[in-house]
Amino acid sequence: MKILSSYSIKGGVGKTALAVNLAFALREAGHRTLLLDLDPQGAATFYFRVAGAEKFRMRDAGALAEGLRCNIRESDFPGLDIIPSNLGYRHFDILLDGMAKRRRQLRKVLEEFKPDYDVILMDCPPNITLLSENVFRASDAILVPVIPTVLSRRTLEQLAGFFRDEELPAGMLRPFFSMVQKRNRMHREIMDDLPASYPGFLKTAIPFSADVEKMGLHRMPLLAYSRASAAATAYRALCDEIFPLVSRGK
Amino acid sequence: MAGMGATSFEGSESGGKVLNGKSVCLALPEGVGPECLQGKWEVDIHPQESRVLAFWDTFEWGLWFNGHILYSTGGTYYLCAREGGWPGAVLCEERAGDRRFWKDFETGAMRARLEGMLGLRGLAQVAEGTFRLRRCDARNSEGKIVCRLEWSSLSAGKGRGEDLVHSCRVLPLTGYEPEAARLVQHLVRRGALTSGDDPLEALLRHVGRMPRLYTLRPVFGLKMDTPAREGVGRIVRAILEIAESNVPGIVSDLDTEFLHDYRICLRKVRSALSLVKDAYPADETRRIRIVLGDLARQTNRLRDLDVYLLARDEYRELLPPILRPALDGMFKDFSAEREQEVRRISLAMGAESTRRLFREVKEFFAPETVHEPSPAACFPVGALVFRRILKRYRKIRRIAANIGAETPDEAVHRLRIECKKLRYLMEFFAELIPGGEGAELLRLLRRLQNRLGEFNDALVQQRSLMNYWGQKRSGTKAALAVGGLVAMLHHRQQQARGLIDEALEGFCGGSTAAAFKQTFKQARVPATGTKRTARQ
Repeated sequence: MKILSSYSIKGGVGKTALAVNLAFALREAGHRTLLLDLDPQGAATFYFRVAGAEKFRMRDAGALAEGLRCNIRESDFPGLDIIPSNLGYRHFDILLDGMAKRRRQLRKVLEEFKPDYDVILMDCPPNITLLSENVFRASDAILVPVIPTVLSRRTLEQLAGFFRDEELPAGMLRPFFSMVQKRNRMHREIMDDLPASYPGFLKTAIPFSADVEKMGLHRMPLLAYSRASAAATAYRALCDEIFPLVSRGK
Repeated sequence: MAGMGATSFEGSESGGKVLNGKSVCLALPEGVGPECLQGKWEVDIHPQESRVLAFWDTFEWGLWFNGHILYSTGGTYYLCAREGGWPGAVLCEERAGDRRFWKDFETGAMRARLEGMLGLRGLAQVAEGTFRLRRCDARNSEGKIVCRLEWSSLSAGKGRGEDLVHSCRVLPLTGYEPEAARLVQHLVRRGALTSGDDPLEALLRHVGRMPRLYTLRPVFGLKMDTPAREGVGRIVRAILEIAESNVPGIVSDLDTEFLHDYRICLRKVRSALSLVKDAYPADETRRIRIVLGDLARQTNRLRDLDVYLLARDEYRELLPPILRPALDGMFKDFSAEREQEVRRISLAMGAESTRRLFREVKEFFAPETVHEPSPAACFPVGALVFRRILKRYRKIRRIAANIGAETPDEAVHRLRIECKKLRYLMEFFAELIPGGEGAELLRLLRRLQNRLGEFNDALVQQRSLMNYWGQKRSGTKAALAVGGLVAMLHHRQQQARGLIDEALEGFCGGSTAAAFKQTFKQARVPATGTKRTARQ
């Protein structure tokens, strides 16, 4: 079982669009996939028409695993399940803080799902908290959407700095360009320049697309209603690129 | 088709009971379709799919009784786990073609799974049905699918026939089991039943091909005090029925096991008559034995050819690769001769003369046929047979005592025949022998028989090959190949001979002899005091 996360310190960069569509592409490729919506905003949950998670007690790792399991919902797409978001997840930090090995608890919890899934994909909230640190230590790869703008470049640098400070393996960071507008000169320049500084930078870039915005209207992944669009094709290409990378040597 | 299996639903009456992610199969009254959900649920009804499914199995139902179903549709074979009477998960698939034996399949997965279940048996179509499926999705107020339903009907043959089964499978989505339970309740209120015929069972019943266990060792329902004639009659009638059930398979030449079993049955009937001597009048018994011998004899050559052809790969393996192609001519001759023999036997089996002989035997053993009295007709079969078993065993021990490295092959052959007689006796009357002891004695006997069989097969095969060569004599390489084969078989015969002694020790040793005595002597003197009468 592989654990992937869609993460960025910055909001509005296409994290949820990535999580929802990559999850869809993974199940299409035959991987039993569980999407874990850790973002209290619950956008991924909304896209799959799933109600918010029921409340459960999170007193220890066992109860947390059991609570998550009880909240598994089968999506409309066989092979893809989702654990919906819950406002209670904002207490994750307090819960984790009280535990021994508090930075590694999430991995232990997610290991419980190993018999049932090939991939767990986490949609993470945009901040650096104890939960984020758990996500970093639980993941086999952290997919970081980067809009080719100065601000996005800066947040990527911040994240890489955090990894250095915390002695986290930088190789796990898998940035890729998101919401790309090829006609925008600045986008082009940053795309020419930035990947050289990050050896794990993925080749696939997701183009900006109004189709992606319409996911809120359709309430389903872009890949389910506009299979042939440029963005859908890019998400599938990203899936093809990332999966062999995490499978190798793990 | 994956996951078309049916699971029984328990507790559909309990409101909102969670289905634990399992699907539920409901038998529906005519006319209850997905439309009955509209108004209460938002449902998407998908277009109907229709497929003709051909189901395959062997004469022995080797797949069915090993928990599998093989069907073909749309140019593909699917091997599935059997869930009740319906295909469950697809285990492997392969494009359809001319496939009868496991070796005819091309994919490794299919061959590996089928080999153990089919053995030497050939596949034949057991039923064909048209399966119609309408899928529908039930959604909640958010538009989220909460349950999938599969409405299916099945009719026999191709095209639109009478529906044999009309059913609905309710497949809850994980996390939405209460919604599925509500749907089940809704259907139950409209007359759906949580139990009913599985579709394939209904189809098989319709075409009169219900799976039945096939065995050459049926239970005859004997008791220790069953009169000998009645006991033998029951045994013979049951075995004749098995023999007859194999005839269509011999005529259609589906596989070699039909003839093999048919011959075993004839041999067993002959043995039953001679082993329980005097159950029927001696003259009549002799006549029937001759008839049975004639019936069996007409199939001798075909069985020999089957044995050679089945051993083709094994023979080739015995030779160095350079000589293997030289055997092709011989097997080609055997194949051609076999084709002729099959035609001859098919005609013979259908001929009035053969049918009359068979009828004659059946009428002889019919319960209503009246026979002259015979010395042992009314003896309690238990005492009679136990004494004969002990007698046979002692005879085997006597022969075995004289067997050494220098004993001629004929003596070993005699030992083999005696063992076979004892085996038949013990198997015919197995239900009278105390369980554990009888089974252990039979195990030792089987081991000895296997060794003797290996020895005999190697010997007979050498003679047949020499005989074939005596008639053909073609080519130096072929001569080398046949010579090499005879040498290898001779070596195998010698090896088998060495192993016979060891098996004999086990079967004829003191502890086995004591066990035989204890098992079969106990019942020797029956409470009814028939011992004396039996000697009259």
